[in-house]
Amino acid sequence: MPKPVNSFKSPFEVETPSGAEGWESLYRYYALISEDRREFEESKFWFFDGMHNPDPLYPFDTIMTENWWVAVSQMSSRVWALPPALGIDHRIINGYLYVSPNAVTDPAKIAERQEYFTKRAGHYFENWDEIFENWKVKAMDCIDRLREMEFKPLPEYEPEESVTSHKGTYSSLEMLRDYSRLIENMLEMGSYHFEMLNLGYGAYLTYREFCQSVFPGIADQTITDMVSGIDILLFRPDDELRKLAQLAVDLGVGDTILPNRQPDEVIADLANSNAGKQWLASLEEAKDPWFWFSTGSGYCHADPVWMTDLRLPFTAMRGYINAIRSGEDVRRPLDQILEKRARVTEEYRGHLPTDEDREAFDSLLELARKVFPFVEDHNFYVEHLHHSIFWSKVRELGNVFVAHKFFDSKEDIFYLHRHEIYDALYDLMIGWAVGTQPRGEFYWKPIIAERRQIRDNLAKWTPPPALGTPPETITEPLTIMLWGITQETIEEWLGVDPNSASELRGVAASAGKVSGKARVITDPSHLYNIVDGEILVCRVTAPSWAPIFPRIRAAVSDVGGMMAHTAIVSREYGLPAVVGTGFATARIKTGDMIEVDGNIGLVRILEEQAG
Amino acid sequence: MLWLDDPASIENPILGGKFSSLAKSTADGLAVPLGFGITTHAYRDFMEAAGLTAEARKVQKVCAGLPPEKISAETAGLIEQIIRTPLPERLEKVVQESYARLSERTGIKDVPVAVRSSGESEDLAGASFAGQYETYLWISGIESVIGHMRRCWAGMFSDAVLSYQHDGKTIMDQGDFAICVGVQQMVQARAAGVMFTLDPITGDRSKVAIEACWGLGEGVVKGDITPSQFIADKVQLTLLKKSISIQPEEYRFDSESGVVGLFPIEQARQAVPCLSDAESVGLATLAKQIEKDRGAPQDIEWAIDQDGQIAVLQVRPETVWSNKAAKPTMKVASPINHVLMRMSGGKAWS
Repeated sequence: MPKPVNSFKSPFEVETPSGAEGWESLYRYYALISEDRREFEESKFWFFDGMHNPDPLYPFDTIMTENWWVAVSQMSSRVWALPPALGIDHRIINGYLYVSPNAVTDPAKIAERQEYFTKRAGHYFENWDEIFENWKVKAMDCIDRLREMEFKPLPEYEPEESVTSHKGTYSSLEMLRDYSRLIENMLEMGSYHFEMLNLGYGAYLTYREFCQSVFPGIADQTITDMVSGIDILLFRPDDELRKLAQLAVDLGVGDTILPNRQPDEVIADLANSNAGKQWLASLEEAKDPWFWFSTGSGYCHADPVWMTDLRLPFTAMRGYINAIRSGEDVRRPLDQILEKRARVTEEYRGHLPTDEDREAFDSLLELARKVFPFVEDHNFYVEHLHHSIFWSKVRELGNVFVAHKFFDSKEDIFYLHRHEIYDALYDLMIGWAVGTQPRGEFYWKPIIAERRQIRDNLAKWTPPPALGTPPETITEPLTIMLWGITQETIEEWLGVDPNSASELRGVAASAGKVSGKARVITDPSHLYNIVDGEILVCRVTAPSWAPIFPRIRAAVSDVGGMMAHTAIVSREYGLPAVVGTGFATARIKTGDMIEVDGNIGLVRILEEQAG
Repeated sequence: MLWLDDPASIENPILGGKFSSLAKSTADGLAVPLGFGITTHAYRDFMEAAGLTAEARKVQKVCAGLPPEKISAETAGLIEQIIRTPLPERLEKVVQESYARLSERTGIKDVPVAVRSSGESEDLAGASFAGQYETYLWISGIESVIGHMRRCWAGMFSDAVLSYQHDGKTIMDQGDFAICVGVQQMVQARAAGVMFTLDPITGDRSKVAIEACWGLGEGVVKGDITPSQFIADKVQLTLLKKSISIQPEEYRFDSESGVVGLFPIEQARQAVPCLSDAESVGLATLAKQIEKDRGAPQDIEWAIDQDGQIAVLQVRPETVWSNKAAKPTMKVASPINHVLMRMSGGKAWS
């Protein structure tokens, strides 16, 4: 079969970076492209999901991607029976996640699905507020059960009470059961994650479509501004930092916090004074739940969490303390934001030609505003609070393996797939029960060392934005909303030479136009390198990078749409942002002078850094 | 004689459509170039004194029924008399004094002015008379001003004006219309153009559509220069779209020949946008304010000088979309059903 002209590289033609040979062994057979399905794999359009997974996947972290492979997909395919769409397929290529939506094309099937869909999705829309209230209860219950889990090394002797209670099961089975519960708990939250999300996006998209038809060319960000709430949970952690900064100034402990030192040293100093102690008590109070806040998307264990890495919140607080001292009011101007939202909405409404249009506008806006709290808030419950605690529990289990001499470090656990951990646990139980040295003590360390090296080499490679054959039209709502992939994006990607392009197009995620020096960040731990006034260039920005936003001038990302977790925060900070450029981190180097036009979604390279 | 900044001028019919509107803009605080109107009374006094009133009325009646190509044979004699008959002494004196006062107020000797026709007929709802009346640019010196005033008067009897129809009726046949002649300080336009407080293509009222070119705005109005286009969001006051057209020539005053004409633009400037983003947003902000003051969509002529100062040259009601019956874009009986319909439609989410 001749290859279509307008297509991307075949996934089979992607070369393995040197030093990463054998990378396939890090992942399960079902996540890899394979010769036995070659024709199918090549006919699909695979795009890089750098938004959730900008870096090569750790084997254990695939629990997140495998979760939504099923959880997102089943909502469209089996639960709602969305007429035109099935699920979103996944493949791991060179350690990076590529995804591809499946469409329903048979008209008879679409009609059959229509009946299911109208009834089922209609039920959710009609009872939205009540379902969301219950959703919060379910989510918090799931999180509470997760908090209670504990992983400890197996004891030398079984506790006395196991004997006196005649329960007949012992620490070995409990450990296995706890592990199963941990995995199940993650998949349970993973299921809640998408219970209402597609419908929420659907209502939002419909409102957006209406706005675009009555106000052709209206900025996406304007539409989101009209829908978005201000009391969303995602802003709470940062609000807490603003309050703590104010308190530090009020208590006169600002000078202890301001010098750029390790948070531990600062805390030790603060504990020496009464004012410091008072401030520390407030810090402790704010921490749970608000510091269970990931600096990444929450999908990767390596993204630092405020709770366990206080550097980022302290950096942000220093900025706020300085601002307060120079007379600024750092509180978010909630009244102003609300007032502006009301004014802008009313003005657009007033520009509509007829009463019918105003009715349509009002009713679609009302529905969009009804669903939006879920769309915005689920992110805190799921990705931040639940997943951050989940990663800390996995590390606890990692420590069990360290205690039993399987691993050198608790972090090694992330180099095993969750199914392999089940094996390793059984191995460990055998050793404990039998009194033989388990094979795991020899088996895993060299594998982990090899995998670490492979993954490090994969991380140096830049994944192309898309592979395979693009579809004639993109209709899948999540693809457009979350990843910002449209017909135009595909055409742009097909036409861009990533090595020489002087302009990159993306989604205009936040208005404004500025130029400045680029700072390319591919590893969240390098966030601290940012110099005031630089333009952040990254694969994807995470909402919890918000505290560095006052220091940057604009943001550019490879991946993302205007609804990406990030875009919301960029807009809140009023910084120009262009997301979904495809190649920014590959094309732009730190130090290049670039111009970011967030009004039209264009990034221009003005001057390249010599060498 | 009425000055634009005289409160008595605001929407005063004796200044004709264009100038009475500019007087209102001046009162609203807009940057309208300084000037005065030689009122419709002056025109009528002249016609009366010259004994041309009856002749003029006859010509208007006769020409209403004629095909345009036959009109000039009927009007030649009348036009000749308008150009040649001496002005009433008092009128001549007042024009001289006013022009001298304008030179004094602007601080420029023999200040270059635009001499513009401002017809009563422009007030007729829906009849824009766009481009039908003459405007003479860069006129300097009292003799020339008076000469061009006469030409504006004579312009009432051009074939285009006499045959101008609206709703199937010849306007000039509908009443005894007079004309005011406006004399206004010339703006040294770096760029100029027209803007609408709606998108003239879609009728979308949340937009301001700007057409702009280098130099004087004549080319945009006449259509012999392809302007650059800017679409701004009227609510957010941000620039949404711009398409820059390469402009090889511009209208400007040539001091050597002493006339306004089309002259080549140097290579380096041809493809450069004639407005910065900030300037286009500034224009949109102004348009929004003008629409708010007037309470309806407007069509605005403007110019911007070397220092970025915007001048408002003309404000008139938008006539196309404002007179069209509004049609709903989309009917949504139930928002939930509508969302379900769209989610299951399988059409592009665009």
